[in-house]
Amino acid sequence: MRYWLTRLGAAILLLLAVSMLTFGAMNILGDPLFNILGPVARDTSNPRSVELIEQAKAQYHLDDPLPIRYVLWLSDFVRGDFGVQFSEDGQPPVADLITERAPRTLALLIMAQVMAIAVAIPWALWSASRANSTADKVSTVGAFLVIAIPEFALAVIFSYIFGIRLGWFPLTYTADTSLGERFHALLLPAITLAIPICAVYQRLLRTDLITTLQEDFILTARAKGVSRRSILFRHALRPSMFSFVTIVAITSGALIGGALVVENIFIIPGLGRAIVEAILREDFPVVLTIVMIVALAFVLLNLIVDMIYSIIDPRVRR
Amino acid sequence: MTNMSAHMEHDQEALFADIGHIPVHDANAPVRRTLGIAFWICVAWLVVIILAAILAPWLPIKDPDENIILRNGERPPYPPSSDFWFGSDQDARDMFSRVIWGARTSLTIGFVAIAFGFLFGGTMGLLSGYFRGRTDGIVSFVFLVLLSFPALILAILITSLLDRSLTTISLVLGVLAVAPVGRVARATTVSFADREFVMASKALGAKHPRILVRELLPNVVIPMSALALLGIGVAIVAEGGLAFLGLSVQEGSTWGKLILFGSGSRVLREAPWISFIPIAVLFLTVLALNFAGDRLRSHFDVKESAL
Amino acid sequence: MSDTGAAARSPAAQRVEDHLGRSRTSTDVALIEVTDLKTHFATERGLVRAVDGVTLTLQRGKSLGVVGESGSGKTILSRSIMGLLPKNAVTSGSVRFAGQEILGLPDKQMRHLWGSEMSMVFQNPLNSLNPVMKIGRQITEPLKLHLDMDRANAEATAVQLLRDVHIPEPERRLKQYPHELSGGMRQRVMIAIALACGPTVLFADEPTTALDVTVQAQILDVINEQRRDRNMSVVLVTHDLGVVAGHTDHVAVMYGGKLVESAPTTTLFADMKMPYTKALMRSIPKLSEPSHTRLAAIPGRPPDLVSPPVGCRFAPRCAHARPRCTQEEPPLVATDDPSHLYACWYPVGSPEWNERDAELSEAGAV
Repeated sequence: MRYWLTRLGAAILLLLAVSMLTFGAMNILGDPLFNILGPVARDTSNPRSVELIEQAKAQYHLDDPLPIRYVLWLSDFVRGDFGVQFSEDGQPPVADLITERAPRTLALLIMAQVMAIAVAIPWALWSASRANSTADKVSTVGAFLVIAIPEFALAVIFSYIFGIRLGWFPLTYTADTSLGERFHALLLPAITLAIPICAVYQRLLRTDLITTLQEDFILTARAKGVSRRSILFRHALRPSMFSFVTIVAITSGALIGGALVVENIFIIPGLGRAIVEAILREDFPVVLTIVMIVALAFVLLNLIVDMIYSIIDPRVRR
Repeated sequence: MTNMSAHMEHDQEALFADIGHIPVHDANAPVRRTLGIAFWICVAWLVVIILAAILAPWLPIKDPDENIILRNGERPPYPPSSDFWFGSDQDARDMFSRVIWGARTSLTIGFVAIAFGFLFGGTMGLLSGYFRGRTDGIVSFVFLVLLSFPALILAILITSLLDRSLTTISLVLGVLAVAPVGRVARATTVSFADREFVMASKALGAKHPRILVRELLPNVVIPMSALALLGIGVAIVAEGGLAFLGLSVQEGSTWGKLILFGSGSRVLREAPWISFIPIAVLFLTVLALNFAGDRLRSHFDVKESAL
Repeated sequence: MSDTGAAARSPAAQRVEDHLGRSRTSTDVALIEVTDLKTHFATERGLVRAVDGVTLTLQRGKSLGVVGESGSGKTILSRSIMGLLPKNAVTSGSVRFAGQEILGLPDKQMRHLWGSEMSMVFQNPLNSLNPVMKIGRQITEPLKLHLDMDRANAEATAVQLLRDVHIPEPERRLKQYPHELSGGMRQRVMIAIALACGPTVLFADEPTTALDVTVQAQILDVINEQRRDRNMSVVLVTHDLGVVAGHTDHVAVMYGGKLVESAPTTTLFADMKMPYTKALMRSIPKLSEPSHTRLAAIPGRPPDLVSPPVGCRFAPRCAHARPRCTQEEPPLVATDDPSHLYACWYPVGSPEWNERDAELSEAGAV
């Protein structure tokens, strides 16, 4: 129990640090007044402009020192008030943007992970049971090559082969279509994301499986007359999953970066695209919010990994 | 008890301890310490690329920015031919020389970023692994915070707030490298700091700086050289990612920008080589770096760690 | 042995089953006949002759001790008989189990015998049990596999098995994991697993080496008790002569991949012929000797199994060796008792041996 509390405390500390850094960076390096008012902010000769400027300053506490602005922002944030999108007409709340965009990114990430895991596990089992055979060596080289390809390159190649030449997938995502069509539009981007991480997973799991297969208890299972298949699936797989689980969780974080790139290539209106657009427009409430959400996801993932560990490995249970 | 312990360490015992398991490999075959020919092929490729990049201004290649319209009346983009080895892009610029000039920027970014990461991250890791205690606590926390940002977002954030010069981009990626490198440096240092030769040094009265520089640093640097190679590959790819978000260097071209330039759906349909050739060069370079790094790593037998 | 309902038995296993059925109560039928068994491994250093021509038999219900140092081939011998070898092993000779030739049979067929007719208990129970699988499941697995039991039956049988090996609170243990038990209990669990389907032969490979001295005797007693109750044969592999002394009917001594002496246990201890066996005996510390008596260890190292020495393999380390020992390999011959075999030119009690022994005790070396 105490362990979990400390973890929680550390996680919160981490999130605070992340938010401070981002908030500080945006306010120091950017110009919030300009964001809100546009060119009006520079127009100090015009009395009407000056009035608007004063108004904005009061509304957003821009004259207060940075720490106070931070605290104010934080207190709003934890209550769910993410501020408004400065750069959009009418300045709609950031929360709207998030709820609109987030599901697509989430769908993309989940699809990619599911596909990668679904392929990596059988692949790893297959190669571990044939370790060092020719087929396995070929597959190992293949996995190695795949890992070396950057996502954007893969995205370009795939959209060429499957989008342009074969026409199996649409090249962009349209929001107003049916669920099936939207799902279809997300497939190619998800596959693009899934392939490199699938290779990473497979490499790791294969290594762990091979190590586990050398353990004494596998010999015991063999001496009991258990079939090769059963040995792989029921005896060797579970003890080999520890690093696998960790890396899946870690990769989920890295995937977010990959999703960013892929969203921009396939023009999918998700969080990745949103943050890029927001950064280019210096719309920092949006940037700040999305960064915080991603950081939160990161931290949560780590906690989940620890929890899963304690379930899978009975030796670790508290 | 019969006294057999005198014979316990016979090497045959080790051989037989493995027997009976579902076999993989002669587990006691001497570990191959040679780097292998594939390693040297990778090194050769890297040397070629690096030399081409450095010597670009003096090489007998076309001007990468010059629009060279062929006299036979055909319109660009031109597919690969004897005039244009890698073909040309939509604006009739020679892809071969663009790729070489792109290498200059991409490789520079990669090297500078990793150099920065190793300099700062490595030092921090070394110090925190050696001194432990509060230093370690603080440094580890810093690493953790840095790692909690998905790398690309941090890169985007800073490049958008500052300018997009070569220096900035390289440094931003360098900052991103600090934490992963630092963690490995710390772990490696910790594993060495407990060894006898360090204690011996202390017992002889050596002061901290001496121990750090003379004893630990050489031992830590060697296994981390493998990490450096892998890291350069990651940095180059990261630059590519930034390019695809429109956030790479403003001046000049990089491989990422080249790929981006050729990736519009119309261009891709008509002239795939504009994108594919830089992709191929990038891929081979990253592959060479990965493989060489991997080989070095198994050569020095460092524990696995994710970058 | 219960009648099995296991599906699709291999022909070999079926023949074994028939033969065993016929010989269920008789004890004078040889259960295992090993003839000139050789097991070699192709490694990078050359061909390792781990077992180099061993012949022995085992009757139903009897226990055989196989004694030797590390590298003598005793473990490989037991695994070769059982057929649990890695892919790079090359075997020759013959191993008959209940009259059926099993040497060289593919794994697919052997799997019907493993765990059901022949079982093995290994040395280190901590590593030999699956750390992330409950004990109950590890015991019921062979029951479901070979005897086609349903879950309820299997669990009930598992509880009974745990009782047979004297584990307290057996129902509770089913739900526990290996790391929750002590070393002695884990080894009992291993034995329970091995006994689950009522095998006709149990191979115990150094079952007590990794355990506390106090627990060792208990484990050996459990094995023996089960042997009597089930009329099961036991092959006990160990480096410790003391272990075989009270717990086996017959002893086979191995050295350098070869069988060097074989005798009923009492005969062996009363009248050992091999100088090697004698040296082993002498190196056991005895209560009767004054304290601080120096342990008489055997000097030198076991032979290289890739290129073993010419002549008797023990000669380089034998204090009683003579020129002939390093030139000609002594054949396995019998004493007056046909069940007592040994391979030595100048065995214990021969004039040459006595002469050398006298010289050595004068010099204080023995």
